[in-house]
Amino acid sequence: MTKHVPIGLIETPFHARLEMLSTAKSWTNWAGFISPAALDTVEFEYFAIRNQCTLFDISPMHKYRITGPDALKVVNRLVTRNAAKLRDGRVGYVLWCDEEGMVIDDGTLFRFSETDFRLCCQEPMYTWLLDTAWGFDAEITDESHGIAALSLQGPTSFSLLQDAGLGAVADMKPFDWSEIEPDLWVSRTGFTGDLGYELWVPNEKALELWDRLWAAGGHWGLKAIGFEALNICRIEAGFIAAGFDFQPVHTAMRLGRGRSPLELGFAKMVDFTKGHFNGRRALLKQQQTGLRYHLRKIDIGGFKPADGALIYHKKKKEVGHVTSGVWSPTTKRNIALAEFKAPYAEGITDDLWAEVYVNEEGQWDRRLVPVSIEDKPFFIHSRARATPPRPF
Amino acid sequence: MTTATYDAIVIGAGHNGLAAAATLARKGKSVCVIEKNNTAGGMARNTTLAGGIEVPEIAHLLYNLHPKVKKELGLGTSRAPLEVQELPAVSLSADGNHAVIRNGRAELPDGRPHPEAEPFAELMRRLTLFADLLGQLSTKSPPSLEGGLTSLETLTELAGLAKLGLDLKRMGKKDMREFLRVLLSNAYDLLLDDLEDGPLAGALAADAVHGAYAGPRSPGTVFSLMYRLGQGGGAQLPMGGMGAVSAAFEKAARAAGAEIRTGLGVARVLVEGDRAAGVVLEDGSELSARTVLSNTGPMPAMMLAGAEHYDTEMVRRMRNQRCKGAAAKVNLVLSGAPEFTGLSPKLAAGRLLIAPSATYVERAFNPAKYGELPENPVIEAVLPSLSDPAMTAGGQHVLSAVVSSVPYGLESGWDEAARSKLASVTLAALEKYAPGIGALVTEAQVLSPACIEARTGAPGGHWHHAEMGIDQILTVRPANGMAQYRFGPEGYYLCGAGAHPGGDVTGLAGRNSALQLLKDGVL
Repeated sequence: MTKHVPIGLIETPFHARLEMLSTAKSWTNWAGFISPAALDTVEFEYFAIRNQCTLFDISPMHKYRITGPDALKVVNRLVTRNAAKLRDGRVGYVLWCDEEGMVIDDGTLFRFSETDFRLCCQEPMYTWLLDTAWGFDAEITDESHGIAALSLQGPTSFSLLQDAGLGAVADMKPFDWSEIEPDLWVSRTGFTGDLGYELWVPNEKALELWDRLWAAGGHWGLKAIGFEALNICRIEAGFIAAGFDFQPVHTAMRLGRGRSPLELGFAKMVDFTKGHFNGRRALLKQQQTGLRYHLRKIDIGGFKPADGALIYHKKKKEVGHVTSGVWSPTTKRNIALAEFKAPYAEGITDDLWAEVYVNEEGQWDRRLVPVSIEDKPFFIHSRARATPPRPF
Repeated sequence: MTTATYDAIVIGAGHNGLAAAATLARKGKSVCVIEKNNTAGGMARNTTLAGGIEVPEIAHLLYNLHPKVKKELGLGTSRAPLEVQELPAVSLSADGNHAVIRNGRAELPDGRPHPEAEPFAELMRRLTLFADLLGQLSTKSPPSLEGGLTSLETLTELAGLAKLGLDLKRMGKKDMREFLRVLLSNAYDLLLDDLEDGPLAGALAADAVHGAYAGPRSPGTVFSLMYRLGQGGGAQLPMGGMGAVSAAFEKAARAAGAEIRTGLGVARVLVEGDRAAGVVLEDGSELSARTVLSNTGPMPAMMLAGAEHYDTEMVRRMRNQRCKGAAAKVNLVLSGAPEFTGLSPKLAAGRLLIAPSATYVERAFNPAKYGELPENPVIEAVLPSLSDPAMTAGGQHVLSAVVSSVPYGLESGWDEAARSKLASVTLAALEKYAPGIGALVTEAQVLSPACIEARTGAPGGHWHHAEMGIDQILTVRPANGMAQYRFGPEGYYLCGAGAHPGGDVTGLAGRNSALQLLKDGVL
């Protein structure tokens, strides 16, 4: 046998199964891994998320372990919220900033204990974490290539887990996190705003987990999905995505492309009282001098998806643009996340218009459609939070 | 446990700490200076060798004491007496054809003009002109311009810069072009454009890298030469040794009302709610204050407050600061006055340089790059007892030598053997110019950069607390984002040589820091 050294994208531990299921052969690069954009068709996959249950391979996510007596200090120095308030066995959404208060990345923080955390995120963060932990009694481990994970999302996901012998998740509230079986950690988290779980195993147990869920899945309409369908759901849930709704500041080459958590609408996630954290002084200053931008959820008139559309005030002055826009099949609305120059979308919220171009059988038409600011997620369902989850 | 409340606590009674304390106390603030050693003065202290002979322990000459500091603190007045004597520089040559630099002019030992007196004078004219230009920036905080064009502070800074630009223009096209051409270049090329590679060029090359981890061919050494020439380039010998300078600073601080407590180490700086709140001493007691100034190196200042109070980028910058000390000190007690070939006793009392050529100075630095001792070191020696007989008795003399290009990170480590090797390398070098000097030595004190670090806390034993490279001066001294003396938590300031404008006994870093603190309104 010749030694094979991968030089391009590499396979996740689940790739053998995904490859077999893929009829679309539509693959994409996610952090250097081969990841499905779609396995079948986006529409089928989307409706499976909202009406059945779905499996999405989230192994390409960067995963870091922060351990040691000072682990909590390191985490609190890193992120803007107070990780001391996160209980053991809980998961928290976190953002972290550079010294100018600009978001480096966002992610999920899993707390095993005060001395043991796992951080999952989109961007490579190893050296940043090492530098953040310098001078502290804590160790940073890159688990990205050791831990495989699956996101099981959809209204029948709890029923499926019960059938798969994992009914112990019944008591788990949203953002709970526990070791359901040896080497199998489950969190009630996801990127869909719906009922769902994420399951974490060492790489070598990945296929075993997949097969176990798949075997229980037929009755519950289980479908493997790709990124595109998930992306519709995350916009419906109002979640922001790195590289779309903000530019991770370490990857931005141009000046002024960074955005602060305050500008992204996460003022509640910034705890100025917990002591120093990276970017705190800059954020305090920004709070005093005023924000430059506001990222908001918006509803757009008509039905033409307006991804990338420019937004005008009084149909004249350009005041922002859509960062993620999609037609929401479930809510039957034209929805988006959009970035506005301050004070638009906070102080000035009326008379806003999105510019949409439509091609009508070879003839382009420019339309200005009304924009209204939304406070709540577009997709909200009580099943997402019910504990124990209702059987489907 | 005693607790006192001060307006400001200054950590470290080096001359900058004392200058900061005096500046604050003169404005009516209650100030306490805490010094770990039993005496104040930092690198500008005297030490007592066997037989009660006093020698300047580390620094031995004044180059750049700033007139503003002198005036504001009253140094040299009855309040803080200080007597100094101008010394000519004598760049030694083995053949006796020494070059003497007096008041910016090059001479021969017999007083006739040096053959290169003319090109030397022209070079000095340009360099001092440029140095004066840069000197404008030394008495203020470096510009930050972060407020934008609508802020008054930025406009004031811009006005200062505009003046600099105007003065630059006013020099005339030729000088302005020359200034911009040489500013970032290396001293070696600049000097040898106009001078033969002999003792005269060697003297300036040595001055360009004095105390630095650099050779005259290193980029940015023209800047450090200009810095050295900031007050005209002359060296002054303080009567009574460098200790007298510290004593004057100390007196000035006390006269202004500052309290100075020695023999107390600071364990850490108290930070409450992102504000400096005082210090915890090594004995565990606390002293509270509304502001704290640290005269330590930048990295130790950060560690005193705790890395957790600094953004990761800043910690990274501090960790990567260049502060490898490269100057050692050898103090010798001699049983009689040494004789230097071709030097009158009067000139022997000058600032003696062993730097026979710019190439010699560059070569002397080569071993340092590999963690080795120089075989042929560059030495700046002074015999203070020749000018100031009161320092010794019984015909004895002291020779105080700064040996350059001695690496902090000596590969074999700094032990007794390494120090005695350094002593013999130094003596061998001196012997070439003063035959028989070795036989006069009755005692030798060798301070490696590591010893200097241990005695003063200066990171790497570096004279300037941080290398005076182009990447670590002005708006990026000690680091990008910290050039305005404010050091992380509110009310915490850096007041030592690691801050703008940098090293030497200028008093400016301390004074500027105190003025910035007052301006910031944190008191």
